[in-house]
Amino acid sequence: MRQIVQVGDMKVGKKGDILVTHALGSCLGLMVYDPAAQVGGMLHAMLPLSKINPEKAMANPYMFVDTGVPILFKELYKLGGEKKRMKVKAAGCGSPMGDSEIFKIGQRNYTVLKKILWKNKVLLEADDVGGTLSRTVHFIIKTGQTLIKNGSREWEL
Amino acid sequence: MSQAEKFRKIVSKIHTLPSISGVAPKILSLLDDPNSSAEQVQEILRLDPGLTANILKLTNSAYFGLPNKVGSVKQAVVLLGWRRLIKIVLATCVNAVMDKPIPGYDLPPGELWRHSVAVSVTAEGLMKELGLEVDDEIFTAALLHDLGKLVMGEFVAKDLEAIRSAAEKGAPFQIAEREILGTDHAEIGGMLLKNWSFPSKMIEAVRWHHDPDLAENPGTLIDIVHVANVLCLMLGIGAGIEGLHYQPSSTVTRRLGIKPKQLEMVASQTLQWANELSSVFV
Repeated sequence: MRQIVQVGDMKVGKKGDILVTHALGSCLGLMVYDPAAQVGGMLHAMLPLSKINPEKAMANPYMFVDTGVPILFKELYKLGGEKKRMKVKAAGCGSPMGDSEIFKIGQRNYTVLKKILWKNKVLLEADDVGGTLSRTVHFIIKTGQTLIKNGSREWEL
Repeated sequence: MSQAEKFRKIVSKIHTLPSISGVAPKILSLLDDPNSSAEQVQEILRLDPGLTANILKLTNSAYFGLPNKVGSVKQAVVLLGWRRLIKIVLATCVNAVMDKPIPGYDLPPGELWRHSVAVSVTAEGLMKELGLEVDDEIFTAALLHDLGKLVMGEFVAKDLEAIRSAAEKGAPFQIAEREILGTDHAEIGGMLLKNWSFPSKMIEAVRWHHDPDLAENPGTLIDIVHVANVLCLMLGIGAGIEGLHYQPSSTVTRRLGIKPKQLEMVASQTLQWANELSSVFV
């Protein structure tokens, strides 16, 4: 089944499912996949740290990288996924042009992701991050394939 | 076709685009009239019952925070006051022209409306976060900022490859549009509003939303729309073919004194209101 992951949301699925998220700008799109169990999940997180708005984080932990990533892993464990087999890919984390610190939410999202993965000894297998692109991601759980689209262009991560 | 010919063709198209509604300019003219009354608003709206129904839907949405539902325009005026009602009327008029897909920019149906509403609530959120007094013009100016895309879409679609390659060489998207088409969606948006006799402050906020440093009369309205637009694109709301390929002005962020934390705080609030407001008419 095809499931859409909205901004500030997370979905998990089994083989046969396709998870899709649209228009990743500075948001983080995180795809986690266990090829043996054939389960996978996708997170579309907006902001790096939940401490900016703890009330929102309580209501919706997927809005933030630091609260969303651990839940994604936990949900996959429930479906039979195992940490040591997980393949992790990231997309998005873009920024507008120029070097204004204020608008580097994308870079901060990526930094927080790397920290969490490093602390938990999980490797990032591939990423397509940064730049000014708006990315749409199709994550095909049966094969683990991650396709990124921008307008009429498409490539595999 | 030369750049100048393309420009002339685009400008001539402005006049063929139907006005956002006959109601909008009439309502706007009431704004400047000190003797205008709730009855006059009702009189104008009576001609368009569909519009009135939508105005009431929007008025009753959680964003405007009325304690009780209103059932008539007159009640809405009493509870919201003039200026707030006018912003709702204009938003309702704008919705009617923004529900189409926009070619060129690769925006699916409804996405330009969602983006416009998101920029409006983000702009109001930014003003509150920065401790600025929220005036009612900001909502409307933000809502209209991308109106030019309605006219520009088909021209951008025709020359998309040339525009993209100009942008890939390092020009912000609106500069790439200018390079190939002789104008950009912000300039065309400004011309549209001028044609429809909008107040000059709003025209300027639309005209300079990507180039606030070029505005003759820089001001908070322009600055806030500029920042709110970039933030919404970053959140992927209405980010089309050009994505984040725009350059935020450091003069503006300095002038506003905005900090990264404040921008993130506003971002965390944007989504809920944008979803709430953009789904009112669905």
